Amino acid sequence: MIYLNNAASSFPKPSEVLEAQAAALAAAPESQHRSNAADGGTDATALCRERLAFLLGTSRPERIFFCSGATHALNLLLGGLPQQYSCAVVTATEHNSVLRPLSNSPVFAGRIAIVPCDNAGRVHPAAFEEALRAAAERWGPGVAVVNHCSNVTGAIQDAAALAQAARSHGFLFLLDAAQSAGSVPLRLDGWGVDMLAFTGHKALLGPAGTGGFFVRDGLRLRPLIYGGTGTDSDKLTYGPDEQAPLEAGTQNTPGIAGLLAGVEYALAHPDAGKSLRDELKKELDSIPGVRTYGPETGAGAVLSFNIDGLSPSDAGYILRNEFDIVVRTGLHCSPLIHDAIGAGPRGTVRASFSGLNTPADVRALVQAVRQMSKSPAL
Amino acid sequence: MKILDRIKSREPCVESGWDAFDFLVDAPIDEAFILSLRPLGSFSYMKALKRPFFKIESHHYIIKGLQGDSFFRVAVHRDHMDELQMITGYITGQT
Repeated sequence: MIYLNNAASSFPKPSEVLEAQAAALAAAPESQHRSNAADGGTDATALCRERLAFLLGTSRPERIFFCSGATHALNLLLGGLPQQYSCAVVTATEHNSVLRPLSNSPVFAGRIAIVPCDNAGRVHPAAFEEALRAAAERWGPGVAVVNHCSNVTGAIQDAAALAQAARSHGFLFLLDAAQSAGSVPLRLDGWGVDMLAFTGHKALLGPAGTGGFFVRDGLRLRPLIYGGTGTDSDKLTYGPDEQAPLEAGTQNTPGIAGLLAGVEYALAHPDAGKSLRDELKKELDSIPGVRTYGPETGAGAVLSFNIDGLSPSDAGYILRNEFDIVVRTGLHCSPLIHDAIGAGPRGTVRASFSGLNTPADVRALVQAVRQMSKSPAL
Repeated sequence: MKILDRIKSREPCVESGWDAFDFLVDAPIDEAFILSLRPLGSFSYMKALKRPFFKIESHHYIIKGLQGDSFFRVAVHRDHMDELQMITGYITGQT
């Protein structure tokens, strides 16, 4: 099987990830302030926070919090914002993990502005700024959410410029790094990002059920989940001027140990499949009857395409059952981008890479697409 | 051709509100079987592939598969699940 669905969930995982998670399960649990079993060994959770901070470009590892993934993180962030932020500016590239929490929120529903993208999935800062200005005028301050790397076209947004625009209009800036963390360089501190959501099981090559978020110092969120933290156990309520803990309950420490190994792998292999994506685009663009979507170069490790005469679903069926190639087809949980790139309403076939894919994988897909495009339907 | 079983596909078309089922059959699908499905809807047949792909599309269902496989897939809109029985009946009646 050739696995090209890493934007959904990466596979295979580096052997280091499997070993680290197994070792964590075999060892006495990390203390998390709840045990006297700590033996002075490595605290994978603290180390993972530090290495993630390095990867995300922040000097504040203590502002990184773990949860089960990007969807969980985005819900916690959007649901916990201070009350004065009561509208949202998002882009047409957003995933349903952003669109659905906002659209079903009593705070944000009906107060969401969507900034269009171009036919490659890029959001232009001028359009973003204009939407922020209009939203601020109409509704007051809010939150701006940007999908850093499109899971459909691989387009990478100019996070620094968009964060600056948000700040200038009194908006908080939330960067959805579900696809970019581990694949695209991030500079949280330099860009002035207020919040970021990431997942562990995509380009960070960790286990499913890991991920988290970053909140800049000074921004106080209302937790959606309260519970035991192992600290201040006699305290039941938190005052309006203090930050209640943003991690409650026992953490997924075996998963975090695996994630740490994945983060180390991602740091050591920064290409993360991006050059394979560019190679694939070049090859597919040379096949008559095949259309690709996304920037020529400089994108994440994701490429969408379609083959004339075949629905994305049929192309995916043939790739899987005839050529043993796993891709994803359809809307990819990002319903708004497809009209802009010309792929609506059926979406695309998406190939997505990790650092463990090889040029042979690209060649196999290109050969399969070539055969499919040359096979007229009777 | 006999239908041995019908199992819910692990790759359902959930994004579009359709459910998918794999029909397991008692012999590899051949051209005669594929052509026998033509009356069920608009017909598409990619014969140039090493294992030809076929698809029959109607308003409420899609049948697709590869020649040589021992299964084919039927996607049905959730509001029209009764079409599964019609398809089963049609195939059973044909063979």
